[in-house]
Amino acid sequence: MDEYESTAPDLNVNAPPWKYNPSSWRQRVPICLLAGVAFLIAAYMALYQWRLIGDVWDPVFGEQSRHVLDSDVSERMRRWFRVPDAAFGALAYLGDLVFGLAGSTRRWQDRPWLVLLFGLDVIPLGVVSAVLVVLQGAVVGAWCFLCLVTAAISLALVALAYDEVWSTLLYLRRVWRRTRSARVVWDVFWGRASREAEEVALDAERRA
Amino acid sequence: MWARVVEVMLGCWLAVSPFVFRHPAGELALWASDLFCAAAVVALSLLSFWRPSRHAHFATAVVALWLIGFGYLYEPHPAPPALQNDVLVGWLLLMFAIIPNESNLPPRPWRDFFAER
Repeated sequence: MDEYESTAPDLNVNAPPWKYNPSSWRQRVPICLLAGVAFLIAAYMALYQWRLIGDVWDPVFGEQSRHVLDSDVSERMRRWFRVPDAAFGALAYLGDLVFGLAGSTRRWQDRPWLVLLFGLDVIPLGVVSAVLVVLQGAVVGAWCFLCLVTAAISLALVALAYDEVWSTLLYLRRVWRRTRSARVVWDVFWGRASREAEEVALDAERRA
Repeated sequence: MWARVVEVMLGCWLAVSPFVFRHPAGELALWASDLFCAAAVVALSLLSFWRPSRHAHFATAVVALWLIGFGYLYEPHPAPPALQNDVLVGWLLLMFAIIPNESNLPPRPWRDFFAER
């Protein structure tokens, strides 16, 4: 082992319960790319809802897409958000991308708040929006191909992202079990190291 | 520091948006809100590069909340394009403002611990 390897921090460790590191770039970059695609699709639909473009592409359902994007449901969401619902969706996908990129390759341990924020953006928001898109098809009585594509991407993102969130939750639980101190868990959550947190970290390394 | 760079770019967009969305000359509040927020965002992001004021970017979140609130409350639904822009830029800034400075390295206390490993 050369000098650098022996002194550089080893961030690439397996995160229990997995035999791999869910915070590694190999795991995170695909999520970011997929979220980027969904962002572009949602932004394109928002352009239609803003009438910056006159039509929206749909190879399967044809003009039904326009009915969905101009529906009463969509109008109601626009009242809540002040911006078209597709623009808000684009914002959420961009959030997946940004929160996916931020953080070290050991962030499941050193920045739990970031992983959980990422998880909140990807998992509950993704599932709810996918369900809403499908419901919208049923309620409006029209389908929108690109909306369904983004819903599918949302669910794929959940499948790709849950492992890291799970590792973080397990880590926080292990810190709680060991210390029974809300104070320590709080500090660990915000990424402040402590002796107890480090012991749990070492423990996790041995286990993985 | 990539989040800070993006914030500066968003601040520049905010600074030109009164001209892009053509605020009426009489609407002082619209002009003042956009231009003041733009200046604050750029200043706070740049201040974050200086070690003593490295936490300045958290104040950007306050500016972001102001922008979102202003966009919501200044005029009722339907919001004109300029206010929709405020709401969207506000959300974007809120997203970036909470990203740490050296976000792709572990936080400092952990960095020391990992380095000893």
